[in-house]
Amino acid sequence: MPAPQASSGGVIHNIGYRRYDEQRLGRPQIVRALTWHSLRSAFGIGRGAKAKILPVLLFILICLPAAVNAVALATNPSGGPIVSYDLYLPQLRIVTMLAFVAFEAPNLVSSDLRTHSLPLYFARPISKTDYALAKLMAFVLACLAMVEIPLILLYIGNASQVHGPSAVWAQTRQLGPGLLYGAAWAVLLASIGLLLASTTGKRVFAICAVGIPLFFSWILANVLMHIGGQVFNPIASGQPPALESLAGLLSPFTLLGGVLRWLQGPPKPGVPIRQALQQTIIGHFGPLYGAVFVLLLAAAVAGLIARYRRVSVA
Amino acid sequence: MRYGTTITALDELTVAVGPGVTGLVGANGAGKSTLIKILLGLLGPTSGHAAVLGHDCATRGVQIRTLTGYMPEHDCLPPDVSATELVTHLGRMSGLPPTAARERAADSLRHVGLYEERYRLIGTYSTGMKQRVKLAQALVGDPRLLLLDEPTNGLDPAGRTAMLELIARIGTEFGISIMVASHLLGEIEQICDHLVAIDAGRLLRADTVSSVTKASAVLLIEVDEGGELLLAELTKRGLSPVAYERGLLVQLAGDETYDEVRDAVADLGLPLTRMEQRRHRIEELFRTDPALAGETIGVGSVS
Repeated sequence: MPAPQASSGGVIHNIGYRRYDEQRLGRPQIVRALTWHSLRSAFGIGRGAKAKILPVLLFILICLPAAVNAVALATNPSGGPIVSYDLYLPQLRIVTMLAFVAFEAPNLVSSDLRTHSLPLYFARPISKTDYALAKLMAFVLACLAMVEIPLILLYIGNASQVHGPSAVWAQTRQLGPGLLYGAAWAVLLASIGLLLASTTGKRVFAICAVGIPLFFSWILANVLMHIGGQVFNPIASGQPPALESLAGLLSPFTLLGGVLRWLQGPPKPGVPIRQALQQTIIGHFGPLYGAVFVLLLAAAVAGLIARYRRVSVA
Repeated sequence: MRYGTTITALDELTVAVGPGVTGLVGANGAGKSTLIKILLGLLGPTSGHAAVLGHDCATRGVQIRTLTGYMPEHDCLPPDVSATELVTHLGRMSGLPPTAARERAADSLRHVGLYEERYRLIGTYSTGMKQRVKLAQALVGDPRLLLLDEPTNGLDPAGRTAMLELIARIGTEFGISIMVASHLLGEIEQICDHLVAIDAGRLLRADTVSSVTKASAVLLIEVDEGGELLLAELTKRGLSPVAYERGLLVQLAGDETYDEVRDAVADLGLPLTRMEQRRHRIEELFRTDPALAGETIGVGSVS
């Protein structure tokens, strides 16, 4: 007869208890460990094969223009770059980042809410604010990777096709503002995305909670901008109508476009106002765009921290 | 501790707990979990003061939580990771460097009896295995104190016994102090040195297990017929029996109580079907002895 034990999995092995007397890390290092863990999980690392499909696809998608640009330059060196550092490809970036934030933000925050694992964290040295900030840092870094890595690829493609140090330097000088603008994308979208995702523990609801407001506000801003441009039209005073100029404040994506327009300064004479498709029209409301950006970012971060302050530890 | 303005969870509770295994007993809603959260520094008491391992709960929560392992009452495990990954990650959250976290996660899981299964996703575990993972994550940071909230919740009798043996072993062999909250006195008295009984947020009693159980034991006697006769006979013998369900209860003073009952039943020639030692429900038990109910030891009080 076989031994009855060992099959149940309930055997307790007596190996003696080993104490841990070595170094214990402090709160900053624990926060860093949580940040790193969450950053990995934003790209599906440590969450199984299925979780990696979407982030990897989105990453490839957002890198495509950089690759196409490099191929175009290689085949037709005289044509110049077809993708710019600041705007990149606006529509593609908006759609990709919308999907990334909507699908990955819930993985960082709402799964801990759903499985009630927050008490496991808060019974350890870190505080609720530490937890919220670690998640925010992780998601900002994830969004940075999504926005900036394509820009760096774009830069590598451009720099390898130009000749002479001065031409490379010119490319580098254009890359800088592009990276800064990309960072503005990352911090704003990550904060808003996490705040919206942390409202519910159910994954599907969380995806909707992030995706629907971001998507429809973008549509609404574009529709109003279009109406403003078409109906109230003529550029009599040299300025676009107020409705067209203010509609961009309604959506984070058009808001970011407006901030870029404002920082780039007034359009040079001779260049039409609506020179590029889907650029935000800001008229003389540039500073307002800057202020709304700062306020929205601060509100989202404060909201996220406040949300975790009052989270129940039952 | 008050929630809002309406609910008072803990009221004027003053108790001191020494090293060893301490049982925290009380009915559901008595305030056990609230007390544990105050001790962890997760909730601030409305008034009063609490200290754990020499640290003030209100101001030095971080130090307390570094040295304390907490096993929550409710299900708190993500289903889509393996036990190894989860316990390693939570070891990191306890402040262990990466290598130490991996080693101690493997150790803790082995201590709780999960070794072969530790690479499986937690979602595929039975309730008993999940309880073990919850205990392992509390143990991973090598705590000085373990706070276990209803560790036998949802376990079958065999699982309960195994879990209680494990807790007793952690208390004695590993040298970790434990406070284990439960609503089943009969269950945790087997493994505890001390008992703290609370009800409706008030301290009922804090004492060693032996003195509590001695005072609390009663004898249940059941006879097929002639219950009234036996009641009268036992009253005559000075045992003050009480009718309870289908039988009689008498206060168990010692071995002579058994003898008295045996003689009474034999003299009357009644068919005895059951005679067993048992306890009142916790709250009744302590209320019957008002002299003991107000007794407190040591320092530290929260309300």
